[in-house]
Amino acid sequence: MNAKLLVAGIATLALSAASAHAADNRAALELIRKECSSCHGPRGISVSPMFPNLAGQQAPYLEAQLRAFRDHSRADPHAQAYMWGMAAQLTDDTVKDIAAYFASQPPARGTAADPAEVAAGKKIYENGITAQNVPPCQSCHTPTAGGNGPFPRLAGQHRRYLEKQLEVFAANLRANEIMHANAVNLTALQISQLAAFLSSQ
Amino acid sequence: MKPTQARPAVKLGLILVALVAALAVTPSATQATPAYARQTGVSCQACHTVFPELTPFGRKFKLNAYVFTNVKQLAPVSEQAQRTLALSEIPPVAIQLQGSNTMLARALPDSGLTKELSQKNSTEFPQALSLFYTGKIADELGAFLQLTWNPSSNSVGIDNSDLRFANHASFAAEETPDLIYGLTLNNNPTSQDVWNSTPAWGYPFIVTNVGVPPVAKALLDGQLAQASAGFGAYVYLFDHLYIEASGYRSAQTSFTNATTGGPGPLDSTAPSARISSPVAPYWRVAWEQAWGSHSLEVGTYGIWAETHPPGIGESGPKNTFTDAALDGQYQFITDDHTFSLAATWIHEARKFDNITLGFSTTGTRDEILYAAGTPVLGSAKGRPDTQGAILEIDFLPWLNTKLGAQYTMYGKFNGGTRNYDGFGRRASDNNTLFLFVWTSF
Repeated sequence: MNAKLLVAGIATLALSAASAHAADNRAALELIRKECSSCHGPRGISVSPMFPNLAGQQAPYLEAQLRAFRDHSRADPHAQAYMWGMAAQLTDDTVKDIAAYFASQPPARGTAADPAEVAAGKKIYENGITAQNVPPCQSCHTPTAGGNGPFPRLAGQHRRYLEKQLEVFAANLRANEIMHANAVNLTALQISQLAAFLSSQ
Repeated sequence: MKPTQARPAVKLGLILVALVAALAVTPSATQATPAYARQTGVSCQACHTVFPELTPFGRKFKLNAYVFTNVKQLAPVSEQAQRTLALSEIPPVAIQLQGSNTMLARALPDSGLTKELSQKNSTEFPQALSLFYTGKIADELGAFLQLTWNPSSNSVGIDNSDLRFANHASFAAEETPDLIYGLTLNNNPTSQDVWNSTPAWGYPFIVTNVGVPPVAKALLDGQLAQASAGFGAYVYLFDHLYIEASGYRSAQTSFTNATTGGPGPLDSTAPSARISSPVAPYWRVAWEQAWGSHSLEVGTYGIWAETHPPGIGESGPKNTFTDAALDGQYQFITDDHTFSLAATWIHEARKFDNITLGFSTTGTRDEILYAAGTPVLGSAKGRPDTQGAILEIDFLPWLNTKLGAQYTMYGKFNGGTRNYDGFGRRASDNNTLFLFVWTSF
């Protein structure tokens, strides 16, 4: 009897926790509907390459970025202009819910690029450039470029967005020691080739 | 006595083409009001290319009733957990200051002075000073309210104002809105529009107060600004199709408040025109297509209105206007460069005028409307035709401050080139160099 009551009590607790979370999920959906979708598209596929596709992105990566916008540790100029404000009032639960929503959307399909550029970019992505101390990108971002946890999905991302990120990593405007080291020795041509390959996947 | 209907069949074409190319090392940018920037925490360039021109995000912000906020809210909830209030803890106020210097190619005739002493150079500081209250009022309700001090009348009056409600609806999944719908209450036809190819927020974004205005201007081109009140509903479907229907009306001409005996509510603004019909219908349909860094809009808008000419009472003759316009806007926006092009063409069944990179006003002869016998402002031929171009270069040392040089050139003015007014004034004598500073904070 007592055990039954206890089970019922636990069930009730679990139920109320679940409904509290559902309410929070509604807050995230409201934000996605009214704000995120204005630039990133309603299902996380954006039109302008100034704003990244979020559909199918790794949830842990998205959470980390939203927190970094909120605490200002991601401070590239574009982040300061747009995302610092957008993320300022997000709660930890809302961050999780927004990330989970975009992670669950079907990712953008790649856009075709010049085959020679794509081939050159593929080579860098798979093998790195030993002479320039550039490791193979696929070792963290996975062979399909789908990403893995904190390592973001790159496949199908906007070409100009990818180029811009490598540029701001190289310039140390977006603080990330590993990506700075990886990007700083890349030439503009190599950045363009890599972005061509990834955006075509 | 019954008002007589006067329907002069005057056709008026207005072509407005604005070309704004901003090539900047730092992001070209803006703010229509810094209060929005404070409210959202987002920098000017999210919503503007070069203010007040809107980016795609800026258009969404406006369509969504200016409610997106990132400042703390005073937001109590009811027992049903519904928010009963949503007030920003920081009031969304801002100041706008414009100063200018205007140089006419040739001084205006001045009876009291010799030719050498006639002034062709006017400085206005400020040219206008505005107080904004722009931001969220409640959930789904927002405002753009502007009070402006006008130096020519030394008075403070209401400027462009827009109070709007907006919400979303979905045909499928809840989180993917398929349409935005809203209501707008405003005081200037086209001020509610989100594309900068319509007159209220079209090029040129600032003009001199002390130049020589051509005799003709279309009714929709600012003639009803702050002289009418409009209420309308809009939908924006699938991020492509915008449809709006609104109605505008004005206070009666020479309306007197029966209780106080003073002037009526809109009389003190002495508008150049006012709507005399119970309601003037306004329509707007636009299609937007975006791809990559590009966006293109094509649309139509217009109004049908009966008006009394200024200074004529309720029993006087009426004008009936049908303004129908086509417009288009192209934008290319990246972090580094912005290019935009806007054009509008207004056809008016009965009246006239102009604006922008290239402008052209043509109309039929009407010696009452476009009177001969007036130096400078008149037309010897009784025609409104005016053509020319406006070039402008802007420099934004800070995102909220614009320094500009604008040059207006006339090839034809009020129907003439060499002696348009019959008093020896050439169209090119009205060419105007206008230097300005425009900041808000």
